[in-house]
Amino acid sequence: MQVKEIMSKEVISVKRSTKLKELLEIFKNFHIFPLVPVIEENRRLVGVVSFRNIIDTFQSYRPNVLKLIPFLDEEEQDIFKMDINEDMGNLVAVEDIMEHEYISIREDVSLEEAYNLMKLHLKEELPVIDKAGRLAGRIGIFDIIGVVFREKGIIK
Amino acid sequence: MSNTILGLGFILIAGLLSAKVIKKIGFPAVTAYLLLGIFIGPSVLKLVPVGILNASGLISNIVLGIIAFGIGQNFSRYHLRRIGRSVLWISVLEACGAWILVTSVFYFLLQQPFYLSLLFGSIASATAPAATVMVIREYRSKGNFTDTLLGVVAIDDAWCLIIFAISLAISQAIYAHTVATSFLVNVFLQTLLSIFGAFALGALSALFLSILYRFVRTPTELLILTLGLVLLNIGIATWLNLSVLLASMFLGAVLVNLNRYSFKFFDSLKMIDSPLFLLFFVLAGANLEIHILSSLGMIALSYLILRVMGKVIGVSLGAKISNATTSVRKYLGFGLVPQAGVALGCALIAKSDFPEAGNMIFTAIVATTVVYELIGPLCTKYALRKAGDIII
Repeated sequence: MQVKEIMSKEVISVKRSTKLKELLEIFKNFHIFPLVPVIEENRRLVGVVSFRNIIDTFQSYRPNVLKLIPFLDEEEQDIFKMDINEDMGNLVAVEDIMEHEYISIREDVSLEEAYNLMKLHLKEELPVIDKAGRLAGRIGIFDIIGVVFREKGIIK
Repeated sequence: MSNTILGLGFILIAGLLSAKVIKKIGFPAVTAYLLLGIFIGPSVLKLVPVGILNASGLISNIVLGIIAFGIGQNFSRYHLRRIGRSVLWISVLEACGAWILVTSVFYFLLQQPFYLSLLFGSIASATAPAATVMVIREYRSKGNFTDTLLGVVAIDDAWCLIIFAISLAISQAIYAHTVATSFLVNVFLQTLLSIFGAFALGALSALFLSILYRFVRTPTELLILTLGLVLLNIGIATWLNLSVLLASMFLGAVLVNLNRYSFKFFDSLKMIDSPLFLLFFVLAGANLEIHILSSLGMIALSYLILRVMGKVIGVSLGAKISNATTSVRKYLGFGLVPQAGVALGCALIAKSDFPEAGNMIFTAIVATTVVYELIGPLCTKYALRKAGDIII
């Protein structure tokens, strides 16, 4: 069975230009902030945003550059003391906080391969892309577990 | 103390606690580890077991391999495309500025042998960003100056590794053939071989790592595979007499362009590198021979001043060529004062390759590192304030 047969095709995605305020508004009633794909006009996937990126926005540095520096002391984060004001919601865009390095999966790979990739990289969900690199859907580890349980007849 | 395991445990816990204390007064953990090492080392309290001291070479080679591997990430297409003209010019010229100035003054004015001057010069090109970044974080510094400074400190060590590899190859050739007639040709060939050989080895290892990645199923396996290949690469480079630092850096550089999930290899090593780094710095401090220090006064002092001068001149030249702002041209050099891991690592290599002169290089670098790490945060604060990125 391939990923495209069980993936969810309805995915909430955002653009690079989406404002932080809009992003938070979309998910304010969710219990968990999901992995949000960032796409361009032609639906090409260019990045992802996770809850971690949202917190990192309020660090006083660009984490991407710092990943390259050895021997750096970890910064102790206190989200209750973050220096934020109302304007930030409109000033910060998805472009500024999104992760450029991310794991995605092609829609034509097998479920076993998708499961192995999630296990290897400790991910519970992945954005799915087509051959041209356009966002096609999302697949979660529970979708795959569901298939296995269905095959065994535990759920219908 | 002769109980090695007790010693290891003691170093880790004492390192952790001393880093906590020193962070409170605004210095990076590196400074605490180095001072702790000097304090518990053979020169003062004699608390470091001989077994661990004897393993210094092994630990530093592993740590350096891991660092150089990580530095290779700078050469990803993504980073290379985004690196600005000023960052590129400034970083290359500040590294070369320190290299050339220290080498020439040591050779012409202080009358040191050329190979020794060259080694000191090449080590001077390194910068340690931990202290700089700490100040940037503490004062929530933001702006064009901060961005340029971060860009420069990130890529600077890559240039240092290249400069050091070239200088080391030349120094070794000079040291080995002091009277040969075909001397220059030999120097040139050995340098080329060491660098291109390292590139070929690193590229092959990256290819091999990418192929083996297909068989990996769990994060633990990924960690074992990555560490195994980084060590294999260091081992083969040592065996073939190639530059260990460059071979590791090229492994990282090729891998990052070859494999779309390469960032996971680098991330997986981050799980284990912190205790190794701690040990590396404590041992660097412990290996400091305080009795040599008194005879090095002039050399260490000249190095302290010339390195910063070279960087300041290089920054100002690079800023001029790339039309950077006046504040970048005037003050960015002062954000590049700290020196630590990469410089100490290079000094350790010099120590093992040149038994007589190496000791002197190593001692001078450890001593100057302590001074630089203590004054570095103040210099960075001064630069950021002058540039207007922070208000104190």
